[in-house]
Order: sequence, then structure tokens, then C-alpha cells
Amino acid sequence: MEFKNMCTRKIRQGLIDKDFSAKEIVDYSLERINNSEEKIHSFIELSPDLAYKKAAELDDFVAKGEKLPPLAGSIFAFKDNMNLIGTHTTCGSKMLENYDSTFTASCVKHSIEAGAIPIGKNNMDEFAFGSSCETSAFGPTYNPWDLERVPGGSSGGGAAAVASGQVTVALGSDTGGSIRQPGSFCGVVAMKPTYGIVSRYGVVAFGSSLDQVGPFTRNVYDCALTLNALSIQDPQDCTSHPLDVDYTANLDKDLKGKKIGVIPDFVETDGIAPDIKAAYKDAIAKLKDLGCEIIDVSLDHAKDAINAYYILGPCEAFSNLSRFDAVRYGFNLPNSNLDSQTSNSRGTGFGNEVKRRIILGAYLLSSGIYDKYYYRAQQVRSLITQDYTQAFEKVDALVMPTTPNTAFKLGEVSDPNTMYLSDIFTVSLNIAGNCGLHLPTQIGQNSNLPVGIQIVGPAFKDENILQIASNLEKEYKFYENYERITRNF
Amino acid sequence: MEKLTEKDTKAIADYAKIALDEAQVIEFTDYLNETIKMINPILDIDIENVDPTFHPIGNLRNVMREDEPNPSFTQDEALANAPLQEDGAFKIPSPLAEGGDQ
Repeated sequence: MEFKNMCTRKIRQGLIDKDFSAKEIVDYSLERINNSEEKIHSFIELSPDLAYKKAAELDDFVAKGEKLPPLAGSIFAFKDNMNLIGTHTTCGSKMLENYDSTFTASCVKHSIEAGAIPIGKNNMDEFAFGSSCETSAFGPTYNPWDLERVPGGSSGGGAAAVASGQVTVALGSDTGGSIRQPGSFCGVVAMKPTYGIVSRYGVVAFGSSLDQVGPFTRNVYDCALTLNALSIQDPQDCTSHPLDVDYTANLDKDLKGKKIGVIPDFVETDGIAPDIKAAYKDAIAKLKDLGCEIIDVSLDHAKDAINAYYILGPCEAFSNLSRFDAVRYGFNLPNSNLDSQTSNSRGTGFGNEVKRRIILGAYLLSSGIYDKYYYRAQQVRSLITQDYTQAFEKVDALVMPTTPNTAFKLGEVSDPNTMYLSDIFTVSLNIAGNCGLHLPTQIGQNSNLPVGIQIVGPAFKDENILQIASNLEKEYKFYENYERITRNF
Repeated sequence: MEKLTEKDTKAIADYAKIALDEAQVIEFTDYLNETIKMINPILDIDIENVDPTFHPIGNLRNVMREDEPNPSFTQDEALANAPLQEDGAFKIPSPLAEGGDQ
């Protein structure tokens, strides 16, 4: 049986029809991952025992004629900042290399309860600080479309695993673009849901007011179905919202009369690759053909978002990463003095990018500097949010590029501040708490790499952006391109 | 704007409890100065009479529950990842001991 291009629906139906068993899916997936990992390195750890346990449970359901849950049999991988009992949770860091998960993150638990088979934990930039997956302490992940290129980051392992057909779905986390940017580089559907839809409990925190968990999938339906499983209010996360939405409900509704906002300034900026511009313009034309009204809007403060983000992100990270004290868990360099033990353990256990951001955050929150930068960045956050609120009074959604460029080569971007600019179109959503989705649309003519667009919606209107993505997907049929790369692995 | 010096970087790293070697102090000082230069345009934005937003969801309310015992971490679970432990407790070196090398 050939599972590699199968979507959630076909897998579940195959189990119901007894075309194959869940155990066979796991056998196949592990073999496929083992054969391709040397080239892609999208995993930090595999969890065959957990996968076979879940498969046995599903096969038992089938044998007893019980109803299968919606994601039954789909192979899931989780970013390695999500706790799962029976696995380590390393965050791509030497600091947590030997950390055993003592509990399971709610997003992981909800996926498994919805029928997902947990196959392993994906590679990531260390503590999610990065846009290329190159800062992982366990070595980089390679882009399945071109193995000399990065998959993006920080959730690069998950994006590469879905693109290459190692797994059906991967969960990533997005603080400033860490789902959408690798989704763009690897050509997969990648969604950052509205802040508050998915519980953050058990996901190692980076920026608590910015972090959100979301899926990588090969099609929009799988993305919506996964979001259904994840959008459960969690008493363990006081920012998780009570919602009762079926995110698949609008996917087949047409777009006639929808108002789509575009920001002309965004694409006229220097430094946008021709393929990205072309994909953007083509998508706008398609949306017009589908009956949408295209309206120019302005987000005057969006250009300031990257600066606000590189204040807010490091400040929240500095605070969150103070928990790594080398006492309760984490890398420890024994010393006769507590202070020295803490500093030496953190100095050795954390990689350079993590140390840079912690020190930047420490500086920005220090006395006399706090008001100048941090407090001001929170005021700018209000302005950015107001811009979005005003834009969404006129339009149902916005369309913009996800990244300025297609995937770059490993080692090509070495300056941290240049790397930070790859988040320029993604960070403002996290700051405002909106939802955003990257949809792959085409293979770029110049780059021969996947390109696509970002669809942005107001908070708690995630079903609207999924509807727009679904309609565009029917036009572009990007999923037909996957065969081109899956045959290589 | 005055640039941060290597002495400043050392003081910040000390406060953040991160030991740096001399080469890192030089590298991180450059990084801090470059990054601050990058974010400095934020100082030119007119923010007069603008309230800050500390959180993207404005209408959050406290989540309350009955004050009843719930399952929680056991002592063994809490200690499961502790690098140093003794008699069922986390073990730390003396905060006052001499000779801590950084």
C-alpha cells in the first residue's frame, strides 16, 4: 500500500474499509522516515512505541466496529518544544538534551485523542530562536525541494517532514512567523491560528503573549480538520478561548462578494524576490476571478512591527528562559558556588543565538531602558493592532507575501539582524493576535522553489481565511507538485 | 546614542546569569549595538496618548475554579529531571561558597 501522498480523509476511510491497518501505516511511515532522514533530518526523536500503541488502539476500534475519530491513522509529528510523555523535549538545545517529558502538552493530547498517531518530535531552531533551523544543537534540517537550502524556521523540521511526505501533519509553534515562514520555504499549508484558539499548556514558552501552536499540512482540509481537534478550551491555559466552530464548514463555499484587502506598499518594497511578487500578483488576479472585490488598505505601522517584535520577543524570552536554572532540570555544570553553577551551566548549555536574545532582553528590560524600548514597543503594539482593526472594518481578509524571499542556502545568511528581516511580513500578526495562513500556490519560475501567499484574518475569524485558502487551492492544485519531491525520498 | 561597551555587556550577562568568554563579550557587544541600531527607528514613532497593549486579547477574565485538591506532580515526577538531588530534594551548592569560577 502506498501511503506517502495520503491525506487525513483517505487514511481514515482506508481504515474503515479495512484496506490497511493502522499498524501497517506505522510500519510504512517508520521505514520511510528511516530511509529519508539521512537527507532531510527533520526529526530529533522518533517514538515508535507510542505510535504502535496508538495504532493498536485504532485497529481495536476497527475490529469492534466502533466509530473512528476524525484524524484516525494520520501520522503526526510534533515540534520538539511540545511535551509528550515517553519522549524527550529538547527544544533543539543541549540545555534540554536529556530532559524527559513528565507530562503531555494539551495540543499533543488533543491531537492523539482525535486519532493522530504520534511518530516523533521535529527538529527546530534552538528554543525557537531562528528562521532557518540552523541553530538546532542537533544539526540543521534540509529543505526537501533542494537539499542545499534551509527549510526555514523555527519549526523547520515539521515543514520539511510534511513536504517530503514523512508525515501527514506536523504541529509547529509560531511566535513571529515560525510556522508560516518554513511553510513558505517548504511549500506546505501552514497556519498560525488566532492567539487563544490552541492551548499553549506544555509547549515550552518563548514569548507568552505571541506564541501560538498550529498545523503544517499538504492541503487546506487537513489544516482545518486539525484545527478542529486543537481548538478545545483548556483549563490549564487561561488564554485559551471557549469556541464551538467547525473549521471545515466553509471550505466549499465560494468567495463571491468577499472583500480582500491588499497593501500596495508591501510589494513595492525593495528586496522582494520576483517570484514572490509574481505569486502575489497572480493570487490577487485569481481572487478577482473568483468574485472577490480587491480593496487597497494601509497598515501604516506594519513596518514598525519588526522593531517592536525584536523588543517584545527577547524581553519575553529573557523572562521565560530564566526557568533554566540547572537545578530543577536542564544541563548542569557542577560548581561549588550556586551563582557560578547557574551562569556556567547557562553559558554552556545555551547556544549563541539563545544567549544573544536573552542578553538583549535583559538589557531592554533593565532600569532606565524599560520605558524607552519595552513600554514604547507595547504602545506601538496598540498602533499596529488599531491599523488591523481599521483595515478589517473594510475587508474580510488581507493578502500579502509570507516571506520576502524563497528558501536560502545553508550558511547564506549569517548575520542575525539580516536573518530577523525574513520575518518582516509575519510578525505583525503575532503582535496583533490575528490569524494567518501560508498557502503554497506555484513553483517559482526563477527559483524553481515553492512560492505562495499569506492570507490574514481578524482574530477568531480563522474559518474565513481557511475558506479563501480552500478556494485558491482548487485553482492552483499545488498538492499535485508533491509527487515531484516525494519520489526522491 | 552612546554605544554599549564590553563592560556593559559583561554586566548585562552577569545579571542574566550567562557566563561569556572574552571572544563572546566582544561579539555580543557588536550584536547588541547593531540590534539596537536596527530597532531605534521605534523611538521616532509618535506614541503620545497611546495606551500600551501588553496582551493581544483585551477581554480576558480570570479563570476561577473551586478550591479543591487536584492531581498534581508527585515528588518523584518533580525530581525526575533534576541533575543533582539528595533525600528527595533538589540539591544546590552553597550560594555563599568561595571560589566559584566563571
